Amino acid sequence: MTAVLVIEDDDRIRLALLLALEDEGYDARGAATAEEGLRTQRRDPADYVLVDLMLPGIDGFEAIRQLRRDDDVPIVVVSARDDTHDIVAALEAGADDYVVKPVAIKELTARLRALRRRARTVGTVETAVPVLAFGELEVSPEAGEVRRGGEPVSVTRTEFRLLCELAEHAGRVLSRQQLLSRVWGYDTGDERLVDVHVGRLRQKIELDPANPQHLVTLRGLGYKLQR
Amino acid sequence: MRRLGLRARVTAAFAVGALSLSASMALVSYELTRRTLLDERERTVLRAAYYDAAVIRAGLDTDSPDAAEALRALDTGTSRRAILLLNGEWYGRAADSGITTAIPARLRDLVTAGEPAVQRIRVDDQPFMLVGVPLSESASFYEIASLRELEQTFQVLALALTAVAIMVAGSGAALGWYATRHGLRPLTAVADAAERIAAGDFTTRLAPDTDPDLTRLSTSFNRMVDELAQRIDRDRRFAADVSHELRSPLQTLAAAASVLARRRDNQDERTATAARLVADEIDRFQRLVNDLLDLARSDQPVDREPVELVELARQACRDRDLPESMVELAADTPATWRVDRRRVAQVLANLLDNAERYGAGPVAVRLHRDGDTGVIEVDDEGPGVPVEDRNAIFDRFVRGRAANYRGGGDGTGLGLALVAQHAAGHGGEASVSDRPEGGARFRVTLPGSLS
Repeated sequence: MTAVLVIEDDDRIRLALLLALEDEGYDARGAATAEEGLRTQRRDPADYVLVDLMLPGIDGFEAIRQLRRDDDVPIVVVSARDDTHDIVAALEAGADDYVVKPVAIKELTARLRALRRRARTVGTVETAVPVLAFGELEVSPEAGEVRRGGEPVSVTRTEFRLLCELAEHAGRVLSRQQLLSRVWGYDTGDERLVDVHVGRLRQKIELDPANPQHLVTLRGLGYKLQR
Repeated sequence: MRRLGLRARVTAAFAVGALSLSASMALVSYELTRRTLLDERERTVLRAAYYDAAVIRAGLDTDSPDAAEALRALDTGTSRRAILLLNGEWYGRAADSGITTAIPARLRDLVTAGEPAVQRIRVDDQPFMLVGVPLSESASFYEIASLRELEQTFQVLALALTAVAIMVAGSGAALGWYATRHGLRPLTAVADAAERIAAGDFTTRLAPDTDPDLTRLSTSFNRMVDELAQRIDRDRRFAADVSHELRSPLQTLAAAASVLARRRDNQDERTATAARLVADEIDRFQRLVNDLLDLARSDQPVDREPVELVELARQACRDRDLPESMVELAADTPATWRVDRRRVAQVLANLLDNAERYGAGPVAVRLHRDGDTGVIEVDDEGPGVPVEDRNAIFDRFVRGRAANYRGGGDGTGLGLALVAQHAAGHGGEASVSDRPEGGARFRVTLPGSLS
């Protein structure tokens, strides 16, 4: 059974989410604080983590960073805050997706399924060439590896999936909407997801992230990976 | 008539001031110079006339006085003419004959009565000075001196002084223009700052210590902006807090309602109906909260970017299980518009929802252009909107009262208000008219989206 960890300080929201997720067939676990959630996740890792941003003690942003440090579990923020600032900060901290409360359970589970599809396709890209090289940058879709100058680079599943998508279409522009549908599996969605993940990816693969050489932006069009 | 600007008025005042000053200066100096020169000339002419009169008197002081002989003894040069009235007869040089008529009768009477006299006269439009000196009871001597050179000097002087006055007035205007440019520079800075603030940049402040005379303006301006920014920040925080406080319990309700919905088959009819009502109302409440928050934020500046509008419209149709083919792009209209994606997506969604709810379903989404204005039209086949309701339907919480209004109450009453707000955010407007084939045609203009 797929396990979901819900880190949410509001008892009633947590209880309702756990009930609804169990109804949908998930092994749902709750944590009222980030500390408790991090402990639970370390002891018995869940397949997904849902996290609120406003938490007592360690806040959601820091919880995401600490979760991210340990592994690449898909993290979805479930927050009542829909400020652009909060969304971008949460995605930059390492979240894979962001939904604003109240979210319908159907939509939440659809997003989790999309994340799982994404996680599963890593390493089994059909058109995969063993290694796609972009100068000093090497992407191995099958091995699930990224290297820069021979050194392995640690990326999350979402980042890896995004990189593979761009690498397979090397030299061609992919619009944000195309990337949203191919990487996140959304027909419509928030384009900031793409922008923030591209930014995070640049931090890891570019020598000078402020002045990217490989992962370039084409204003008004989208993104492109080049040599 | 349009009131002149401050700068034009100050410049004009400088010019008028400089002109009146320089004109009166010029007038005074002209008059003084003229009088001095004329007096001097008069003294010269008088001195010469008395001298000549003395010569004539000596010439006539014989037993048989010969006027012509006496006159010939004079050396008058070319600028003076001497005339002698002797026993009622005029004597002059041959070339001077005829000039006697120019001597005014009153002057002649005065001189004949034994009084020397001076008068300025004009003969053939030429200025002259006439001096009359009584010689004896029967003889008077007159001398006419031309003032032409002096008059020419006056003309040149007047011309020079007029030119100077005009130049001074021009300099005054230039000085006014220059001074106001410097004087108005702080105001220009204030205007620039106000424009930046209006555009949404609340970090703009005036430098407080540029000019001691303007400190009050800059400090009060900055304080105003501080308070404005604080108020906006407070409003935004309030909206965020309200949003948070309303959304959190809604999350519990939404999750709990889905648990209830899953068990519908195990519930008796009354419980199932109640559970469905709860779920529906939670759904509506959620949309109401979202619409209210969108409306509260709709005064923020639009974030324009290139958007594939056709794709956006098709997506909106797909989301509602409507055929994509109803989206029509006019032949002369590009597919990509510069608009705020989120807001235009909401405009399309709300117009389609409105057509479904009150207009018997949308039949066409038409995208075309009017110059650089992008135009979105959504047509339906419903009963249309009565003329008297056409403005009110874009107000908040006004719902259609059309005949086939389904009465489900599932709308929030904010959909078209948001459409109007988003159109206004782009500098355009939303309106409704009759569709020629029957039904309503909602039209949204987005100026500047195709420039």
